[in-house]
Amino acid sequence: MFCTQCGASNPDNALTCAQCGRSLQPGAVTTPLPVTGVVIPPGTTVPNYLVFAILTTVFCCLPTGIPAIVYAAQVNGKLQAGDLAGAQLASKNAKTWCWVSFGVGLAVTLLYMLVIGVGVIRQIGRH
Amino acid sequence: MAISSKQWQLTAGLGTCLAGVTVLRIFDPATSGVFPPCPVHYLTGWYCPGCGSLRAVHQLLHGNPSAAWAMNPLTVVLLPFLTYGLIAWVVAETYGKQLPQPFLPAAWIRALGIAIILFGIARNIPLHPLDLLAPGAMLRF
Repeated sequence: MFCTQCGASNPDNALTCAQCGRSLQPGAVTTPLPVTGVVIPPGTTVPNYLVFAILTTVFCCLPTGIPAIVYAAQVNGKLQAGDLAGAQLASKNAKTWCWVSFGVGLAVTLLYMLVIGVGVIRQIGRH
Repeated sequence: MAISSKQWQLTAGLGTCLAGVTVLRIFDPATSGVFPPCPVHYLTGWYCPGCGSLRAVHQLLHGNPSAAWAMNPLTVVLLPFLTYGLIAWVVAETYGKQLPQPFLPAAWIRALGIAIILFGIARNIPLHPLDLLAPGAMLRF
């Protein structure tokens, strides 16, 4: 059955939605959601960290964000194929690359601010 | 009353966001020296996919979607989704509650990655109409 709150697929005998925790018992409001055609294995929350992958790729201009996007795609691809273990591995890799991007971005920003700061101090010193 | 570390993190995070938005609303990155120029553009002269995004968000905060679009159309398109994604993440981390999130097929995510790269390349090509994708170029028309 599909959860009425988040749309996740759950086993027919599930008491609560594995994704959002909403009660799936009769009595709970049931509004059928449009079927998306994507079959997700029941009871899975495998984060793909796509939001962070995009944030680091686009807003830090970092090439290290690209592997994060690739792994994010792999997470959902493996979920679509029903490969939970593969999805979890890809999720781990996506997370790692997000952190790598974040670390590199932070290092570049700090270094850059240091360079700018030194430049400003020199300018002031000249006057 | 003891404040849990999660509540503290949430408050600090929200405070930082709010401060950032306020600074971005007051100062225009295009004219004020508050925001340093992007290191990538400064060092290479190239526009990256995110170039112009601060200026775009500044324009959005002032209710000028067309000026924002001219600065960085990719940011304007992605911003609502990224904002919702971040809110969903904060809610999940803080309250352990999952907000509804659509499942994106892998092909869509790959297409998005390719689109970001192509956008980054296209806005550096000095050929009309690709040159319109450079930050602010559309404002001149």
